[in-house]
Amino acid sequence: MTVIASRGAGPFIAPAAILSLLVALVPVIFIFYNSTAGGTSVDAFASILGSSLFLRATRTTIEVSLLAGLLSVVLGYIVALHLARQPARRRAALMILVLLPFWTSILVKSYAFTIILGRDGIINSFLSWASGADIALPLIFNRIGVMVGMTNYLTPLVVFPVLASLLAIDPALYRAAEIMGAKPSRIFLTVTLPLSAPGVLAGALSAAVMSLGFFIVPALLGGKQDLMLANLVDFYTREVLDWNVASAVGVILFVLVAIFAVPAMLLRGKQQGVR
Amino acid sequence: MAGHIKDERKTAYRWLGTVLAVLVYIFLLAPSIIVIPVSFGSQYELSFPPKHYSLDLYRIFFSSEAWMQPLLLSLRVAFATTIISSIIAVPAAYAIVRFEFLGKKLLIGLIMSPLVIPSVVFALGVYLYFSYLRLTGTTVGLIIAHTMFVLPYTLVIISAGIQKLDANLEFGAMLMGAGRFRMMMTVVLPQLYPSIGAGALFAFLISFDEVVISWFLAGPNTTTLSVKMFSAIQWEISPVIAAVSTILTALSLVVCMINVLLQKKTETPA
Repeated sequence: MTVIASRGAGPFIAPAAILSLLVALVPVIFIFYNSTAGGTSVDAFASILGSSLFLRATRTTIEVSLLAGLLSVVLGYIVALHLARQPARRRAALMILVLLPFWTSILVKSYAFTIILGRDGIINSFLSWASGADIALPLIFNRIGVMVGMTNYLTPLVVFPVLASLLAIDPALYRAAEIMGAKPSRIFLTVTLPLSAPGVLAGALSAAVMSLGFFIVPALLGGKQDLMLANLVDFYTREVLDWNVASAVGVILFVLVAIFAVPAMLLRGKQQGVR
Repeated sequence: MAGHIKDERKTAYRWLGTVLAVLVYIFLLAPSIIVIPVSFGSQYELSFPPKHYSLDLYRIFFSSEAWMQPLLLSLRVAFATTIISSIIAVPAAYAIVRFEFLGKKLLIGLIMSPLVIPSVVFALGVYLYFSYLRLTGTTVGLIIAHTMFVLPYTLVIISAGIQKLDANLEFGAMLMGAGRFRMMMTVVLPQLYPSIGAGALFAFLISFDEVVISWFLAGPNTTTLSVKMFSAIQWEISPVIAAVSTILTALSLVVCMINVLLQKKTETPA
């Protein structure tokens, strides 16, 4: 980073600073303000903490985020390992297989999963055709649908940091381990896995942060019992028309995400410091 | 002999890794691919593979007011968002890369916050705030919120571009008497077109695909294509959605190819 001056940044940064103060900071203040009815009451929090709907949504959110995060780390690792072992040119080509889903609209993916997983969807039709019986597995509008949709969305997000940390491993280490007689499984466990751990951690944290706030996938692929906190925010805003309670749920979601996001940012700062 | 056994085991592991990876690639790509054949099917039944191929769904999409209005609105919002966010991001990125100033880290954190804050929380906040300002249900409100939402992405891409520039050229221009503005226009901008282009492209796609904020801000006349699609998937499951999905996938493919090309470009000089 080359610093050419310590003064005169004002006019350059002013538009972005004003926009982010007005449109990023003020909305968050509005949520905190509304959740306490202007700092005068904790009724909104009291009412959600006593509601079984909220408690179930919180439990669902945490369960689904952890499980989807874990699944996407496993799937992302498999892909990242495969990409890391390819020659650079082929890797660039194969990256398209990860980048296309990454850039595909979440709506397109969710819609596609209704075609794939639905009652008369591709999987059920195939199973019925193959078995000769009429099979209609419940794969959608339940927890399975949510998990499939979320894992599909999160996996590319995990691939990028894991791939970066795998590519940073010195190939000489692999050769040294091999010459010393380590078996492939041993090399994986003692060289590859520990040295890629920072990427895995970064990927897992960002997957957790993303999944806590998921709204579209549970709304389109989940059932009524799979409502997550984000859907509850929408429910209280749109159906119940209680902005205070909606804001209170928003505040709790905000705090939950902060618990995961702060270590993620510290981790990133640390890695940059090392470099 | 021992070496032979080890090689065999190594190949076996490679094979296992490749097979697993192919399965994950299929899982990742299946949803983007599957909508394509379905979109060329008939309007009366949703089946895979379709029994008859036709362009009916596209014809319905492009001739229906209920889809065209949201499409045009989304295009308008995405264009405006792209232009405004680029105009804001270029000087901001320059300030962040080339200047030190008080509260810089805090400001960067604030600008980047829409990446971390769940979009539903951001959307609710903007909705409450814009209700107060009477901006909900307006195109202007959508553009302002989208501009904030895409700013982190454009800022990161353009900053990366500026970091690669040679600051001595900027020094030189200013030593020769060019003012800051003139220096920006004649030295920085011409070298920065690829990054600005990439940032603009991503801004466009992100705004065009954005659902949650648009869903909260939508009014009767400000339903974006993504919001229309979201409610259509929820309530009607009409096969026309497959045609919209295919168009969106094609758009993503274009962006993704440019993404790959840009990565190559930045790799070669280094």
